[in-house]
Amino acid sequence: MSTAAQRVEPAFPVRGHTARLPWPFPDDLDAFRYSVNVEPARVVRRTAAGSWGAHIVDLGGEEYGAIMAERRRILDVDPHRTRLMPGMGPACWDLLVYYLRDLAISYPHVMELTEDGDAFHWRNHALGTDQRFVVGDASTLPYDPLTFLGREIPDDLLLVKERDGHLCFDAGLVTFAAAWSVAFDVGMTMTEIHNPVPRLTREGVTSRAEQFLRRLPVDQVYRRVNWTLSASGSRRLDVSLEELPEWGADIPRLVRDQDWGRLQLRIEVEHFVRLPMTGAVTFNIRTHMTSLEEVRQIPAWRRQLAAVVLELPDDLAAYKGFLDYREPAMAWLTEPDRARPTHDTHPTHGQEVPA
Amino acid sequence: MSAATDEPALERYPAHLHAGYRTATRRLRVSAVDEAAPDVRHLTLVDPDGAPLAPHEPGAHLVLAVGPDVRNAYSLTGDGFLPRTYEISVLLKRAEDGGTGGSARVHALCVGDEVEVEGPRSSFAPRHDQRHTLLLAAGIGITPVLSHARAVARWGGTAEVVYSYRPGRAAHLEELRSLAEHPAITLREVSGAAATAALLAERLADQPLGSHAYACGPPAFLDAYVEAAERACWPASRVHLERFSAPELDPGVAFTAVLADGERLGVAPGTSLLEALLAHGRPVANLCRQGVCGECVVPVRAGEVEHRDLVLSDGERAAGDRMLSCVSRGAHEGAVIEVEV
Repeated sequence: MSTAAQRVEPAFPVRGHTARLPWPFPDDLDAFRYSVNVEPARVVRRTAAGSWGAHIVDLGGEEYGAIMAERRRILDVDPHRTRLMPGMGPACWDLLVYYLRDLAISYPHVMELTEDGDAFHWRNHALGTDQRFVVGDASTLPYDPLTFLGREIPDDLLLVKERDGHLCFDAGLVTFAAAWSVAFDVGMTMTEIHNPVPRLTREGVTSRAEQFLRRLPVDQVYRRVNWTLSASGSRRLDVSLEELPEWGADIPRLVRDQDWGRLQLRIEVEHFVRLPMTGAVTFNIRTHMTSLEEVRQIPAWRRQLAAVVLELPDDLAAYKGFLDYREPAMAWLTEPDRARPTHDTHPTHGQEVPA
Repeated sequence: MSAATDEPALERYPAHLHAGYRTATRRLRVSAVDEAAPDVRHLTLVDPDGAPLAPHEPGAHLVLAVGPDVRNAYSLTGDGFLPRTYEISVLLKRAEDGGTGGSARVHALCVGDEVEVEGPRSSFAPRHDQRHTLLLAAGIGITPVLSHARAVARWGGTAEVVYSYRPGRAAHLEELRSLAEHPAITLREVSGAAATAALLAERLADQPLGSHAYACGPPAFLDAYVEAAERACWPASRVHLERFSAPELDPGVAFTAVLADGERLGVAPGTSLLEALLAHGRPVANLCRQGVCGECVVPVRAGEVEHRDLVLSDGERAAGDRMLSCVSRGAHEGAVIEVEV
């Protein structure tokens, strides 16, 4: 009868993009180096703009539908984004079961899972998925279990397993890689994958990270936040090598136009779970983007990001891709602070000053 | 000053939200008790609230609190796939055979009893990319091998099982024979030490490329297995085994452990570093105290260690950065080891 009665409650309250952003730096950090900066998962963290971190999977609130449309578009045109080494089938089922169970408890208003022995019934009301399947029987799913999960959640899904004393990246579904390719990296050891990162292997970070993952207990879940400036001047999550022709000219154009507000801070939240049935460890990556224009709205963020980016040694800045333009970009970012240094405390702003 | 770094958490969540991932100490109920063979009791355990149990890797074990301060590890015989029950088979070890009463307490459990458990823990898992599996068991060593064989049958691999037993005393023989009706699973049965050694040698010499071998049984059986694998030129990385008892160790030499805070702890012959640490009020997680399970590993900063465990690989020993405190010691009389405890 009334329009109020017809109004459909949105699946997710609108919180705004920056409010849920996992800001990657602790409050007092002004110099960044790679480290094994892991912490327990499912701990809510406050940021200057909001908070994040309650769940292992961050669906993205009101942006969930758009992210998943992009994920599914990429998987449809390029099925090679899902890659498995031999023997990783059971680990993918292990991952699917763990994540569906977790999602149904984390997001009970949009996701439901019922189990009857091995027979599962999964419903995702936000995306309209309604799927009955038998765990372990691939013929009961429309896709392989890794792809099925990848079409339900925004995370890039990576599984590592030990082979001959090395941790190997042996299965993955990756559509949002930051200038790498799942098809090229799958099957490599952690050391091989991270060799191109300056200082990482030489300073022992890779081997400490590998030790950490190797000893990850089954009763703990950890996470880690990583960051860079994106290789694309848009919200585009897929800056993989597969799509290099699509984004390769973005940054040169942006630099030429001095269009610094379009630069994107790329934040990756990684989650580490030891899956109990196979012993595989997840290295799942949820990618977030925020433009310098958005960062500029929050004084604490713009000052910290500029300090961190400008302090970074040249080799790390070159690896992250912003050595050549970081100074003008950060000058633009902090310009409000220099132009109006006393803005926050101006006593007579907007008031009549008595004569 | 560090208040900003240690940003307070608003809320703490448990690691796993779903009940089917609990591995901490908890109580399970005995739902069935069967005679698997003379002196072998087969126990079926369920969650008292009917919750699903944590999945586990093939070859995993469950730790049972079998008495005050006594916890024994028993191999799970299921394949670990979405289990609703945990099943173990326990051989009664009588006092005259060196038993300390743990297995007798398990044998005394009845349907409806509750028992405190921890785990499952994985210590004898299959290689995920194995192209073929050779499984070898003697006596009660069949329990983890049955778990492996069931997982191979479920996931579509191929396996050959060699089972050595005393006639009339073989646990799980019927289950294995029915598994072997599956075209991908072959079963070979053998009795007697000489015939077993001959069959081990024959089967290890006749496996396809890409095979991994797994064995569990008494020390003499495992020695014969390792020797046969070596003679057949198996790379050590493909020869896996699980011991359920460790060889006798000599009391060793006296040495000194320097602890993380600089305190010096003398360790006498016949006393283990683990015992010395515990007696000194330094808690170290531990389980088997025989150098088999790996629970009591401690980080080593400096010092020469004589490794006497059966857990660490040659590479890990060479790295010199850890030791099993229950059996390993200073390398020579008066040695000083710095440990991170």
